[in-house]
Amino acid sequence: MKTIFSTTSLALILATGAASAQELPQANDAWFTAGQDAIQAIIDREINTGRAKNVILLVADGNGVGTNYATRLYAGQQEGQFGEEHVLPYETPDFHSALVKTYNINAQTPDSAPTAGAMNTGVKQRFNLINLGGDAIHDDCATVTGNELTTFAEIVSGMDKSVGIISTARLTHATPAAVYAKTANRDWEDEVPEGCTAQKDIAAQLIDQMDAGVIDLAMGGGRRYFAGKDVTLDEGGTGHRPDGQNLIEKATTLGAQYAWNTETFSSLNLDGSKPVLALFNDSHMEYEADRAEDDEPSLAEMTKSAIEYLSNNESGYYLEIEAGRVDHGNHAGNAKRTMIDGVAFAEAVAMADELTDDADTLIIVTADHEHGIAFNGYCGRGTPIDGLCYAVAQTGDKHSDELLLADDGKPYTVVGFLNGPGAVLKAGEGNDYTGSRDELTQDEAQDLDYIQQALIPSSSEMHSGVDVAVYAKGPWAHLFDGTIEQNVIFHVMNHAVAAE
Amino acid sequence: MLTRRTFLASALAAPCLAAPAAADLLKVRDLYQVKGRGLSDLAQQSVGQRLEIEGFMAPPLKAESRFFVLTKMPMAVCPFCETEAEWPNDIIAVYTKRIVDVTPFNVKITTSGVLEVGAYTDPDTGFVSLLRLVDATYG
Repeated sequence: MKTIFSTTSLALILATGAASAQELPQANDAWFTAGQDAIQAIIDREINTGRAKNVILLVADGNGVGTNYATRLYAGQQEGQFGEEHVLPYETPDFHSALVKTYNINAQTPDSAPTAGAMNTGVKQRFNLINLGGDAIHDDCATVTGNELTTFAEIVSGMDKSVGIISTARLTHATPAAVYAKTANRDWEDEVPEGCTAQKDIAAQLIDQMDAGVIDLAMGGGRRYFAGKDVTLDEGGTGHRPDGQNLIEKATTLGAQYAWNTETFSSLNLDGSKPVLALFNDSHMEYEADRAEDDEPSLAEMTKSAIEYLSNNESGYYLEIEAGRVDHGNHAGNAKRTMIDGVAFAEAVAMADELTDDADTLIIVTADHEHGIAFNGYCGRGTPIDGLCYAVAQTGDKHSDELLLADDGKPYTVVGFLNGPGAVLKAGEGNDYTGSRDELTQDEAQDLDYIQQALIPSSSEMHSGVDVAVYAKGPWAHLFDGTIEQNVIFHVMNHAVAAE
Repeated sequence: MLTRRTFLASALAAPCLAAPAAADLLKVRDLYQVKGRGLSDLAQQSVGQRLEIEGFMAPPLKAESRFFVLTKMPMAVCPFCETEAEWPNDIIAVYTKRIVDVTPFNVKITTSGVLEVGAYTDPDTGFVSLLRLVDATYG
């Protein structure tokens, strides 16, 4: 009877609507009114069923819901907030959202090649391959022919749109490569096995696609894969291509502009008349925490230039933007660099949003996969997300000044990893791994180079199969809802650019 | 109310992660400018001096050697990120007094040695270094 009574009471309150809400004791609480504002913002959303002239796909590599949570708090705390309440630029009510299942055809734990491929072709792919159908086999060049998929870049290029790629990783790395390459091995960045004639290496495919008019702009790292081993590169390093080809020279001969540092980036002609190839580092671009302004542009600065360049095409454009080093910070078990690159990604999203019109531009913000990142408890409000866990305070909102201790009597960080170089088990004699946790101070835990403690020993922290989120605004963004397969992202893009 | 513009402005105004002043126990990054493009003033001023630097021993390039590479973070090798080992710019070559007794790559060590600067190619491994600690001990 009691249960029935409660249900009936609740139904009565709901049925009588907003007027009755004012009579609730919590009606004037800030959380209550904020909640009302939140649903009003969702009610006020306008569904856009127009045709998307432009599509911008922003991917923070390795930025699953856990990693994104860390970045949200870090960004907020950098602004003086507690952090938990912070709203990243893509977490506002005007973005629709969904959860995304990221597994590959043959892998529970995904890698970045087939995940990016799924977003760029509409089908799930096999582990470590890019843009080849499910019958292709990893590392087997003989399975390339007949399995090549058509990319979104090729589709929209056929609609006279321009295509751009930006990445803070190497342009030949998995996520950017998925815009233009088809390969049986993601590691064939500047060479293919002897006798393999069914495909070229990934760098060569980029220049071929630029020559073919599919790719108009490419900015990122990976310079060494575009020049032979005997070539001295712009910053004093050497090329890496065994075949000796100088693809940078080939691109400029074909009419492309080339930039390699902030100064030459600033001098690019952005009127859209000449393709752009920008290679800012021999390998990956620097982590945002280590980037020098006079050496490399930021992700947001590259985003701004790319949109200015691509907007010259009246038929529109497709631009994929990757924050590639969010992933690398996690692999290193170095949460601080992950979060700082996450903030740089958020700034790039804000820049893209600011420079485009929701009426004709579909902006999609997502990740390719999550990591083995996890969060300890029970930390008080405002505990530094990059530091040690403080206890919950009995009064007020903010955490107490008491560090929580584990059963070993030592404090612990909020962020931890399930595996990786921060493993507390260290290699001993033979195969004997033993260890205990280090005693940490808050200063040590918040150091830029600090590696979070982990459980399973591994030279590199690993991806995980946990869902990522997708956020979107603009034409057909409302199609993102519920829990979707990763390849559905392509279908929303493809539907949006073709809608009548 | 946080707007996009204030978000950007606030994020850009975030405090820089400046290298600390010289201290008894140094970090690897203290000897380099941002992103390892050049040596720091501290490094330039400390040539010939014995320094104590904390870091990690990268997996040795050669067995039974008196040489190892000191890194600021454990050398994580991601098979799905890299086609080959990626050395960061800011590393220190260490030439030891005794044959190196290998320490696991993720155990923090303190290395004491006399600072040398200038390009040098290790005759055994071909490893090129710009910054070295010689006559070094570690633990």
